[in-house]
Amino acid sequence: MKNIIANLNKAFESRVRLGIMSVLSVNAAVDFNTLKELLDVTDGNLASHLKALEGMEYVQSVKQFIGRKPNTQYTITELGRTSFQEHINALEQLLK
Amino acid sequence: MLNNAKSKPNLKYCISFAVQSTFNVIFMEKQLEDLKAIREMMEKSTKFLSLSGMSGVLAGVTAVCGAAFAWFYLLQDPAATNFNRFQETLILLADALLVLTLSMSFGLYFSWKKAKKNHQKLMSRVFFTTLYHLALPLIAGGIFSLIFLYRGDIEMVASSTLVFYGLALVNVSKFTYPEVHYLGITEIVLGLLAAVFLNHGILFWTIGFGICHILYGLIMHNKYDSKK
Repeated sequence: MKNIIANLNKAFESRVRLGIMSVLSVNAAVDFNTLKELLDVTDGNLASHLKALEGMEYVQSVKQFIGRKPNTQYTITELGRTSFQEHINALEQLLK
Repeated sequence: MLNNAKSKPNLKYCISFAVQSTFNVIFMEKQLEDLKAIREMMEKSTKFLSLSGMSGVLAGVTAVCGAAFAWFYLLQDPAATNFNRFQETLILLADALLVLTLSMSFGLYFSWKKAKKNHQKLMSRVFFTTLYHLALPLIAGGIFSLIFLYRGDIEMVASSTLVFYGLALVNVSKFTYPEVHYLGITEIVLGLLAAVFLNHGILFWTIGFGICHILYGLIMHNKYDSKK
């Protein structure tokens, strides 16, 4: 069992990051406010986790304006998708 | 003294083992919760989970009242009143529209309350997707039924409304709770039966829009509304 722990991705240790990856893996693109509502976190908390995930290239963002209001859409990258899937597989292996 | 020398290291091993085991249990529990959290978040972001069983119950009660009014006031033999066919049709139409409007209002109200209880907005992206998939067969069925009404085939109206409503429910069920799928199938079957037993349209209408809604509403209310 000890060597299976190595497959768990440290980047996904936070519940918020798990939530972000979960939502982005089943939705084409999600904007910042929708993520905030779904995960029930503050602006700053969400922003810092998203920035970290973007830094690791698991997530990418597209900034735009809807009328005069700024709107940022987040999508999962291929790397993010495979890394998250590996993490889920590792979790399920662990709990078998 | 020999006993003493052996028991101290034993105690150390015991404590170390106990600590390790506790840590393992806590660790495993966290992983289990993580997996659960992942699944829940995936569902929450793709499905309309603010649907309340109470709206089904109240919609059912409204439908039963509407049907009772139609039966006792207009449809039974001998007729309690002396309206001609056209006036009867108009009153029945108004009755049905009233039941529909009230049911939709109840639906929206209880869904709004449930969303609020879970700290969420009602009008999310999932909400509009759900509404669209529900509306498509419903509007088609509504127009279809009105055509029957216009042609004077009032007997077919109960059947076609039930069938299209059932199809609408089956269509929307992939965006919300699975019970909606089974309610949809029930309505389709009732609608087809109503097409066979043309003289008992009002009875099937009462069962389909009234009793089934109350039943499924109670089941869903018990299952999904009280928790969280």
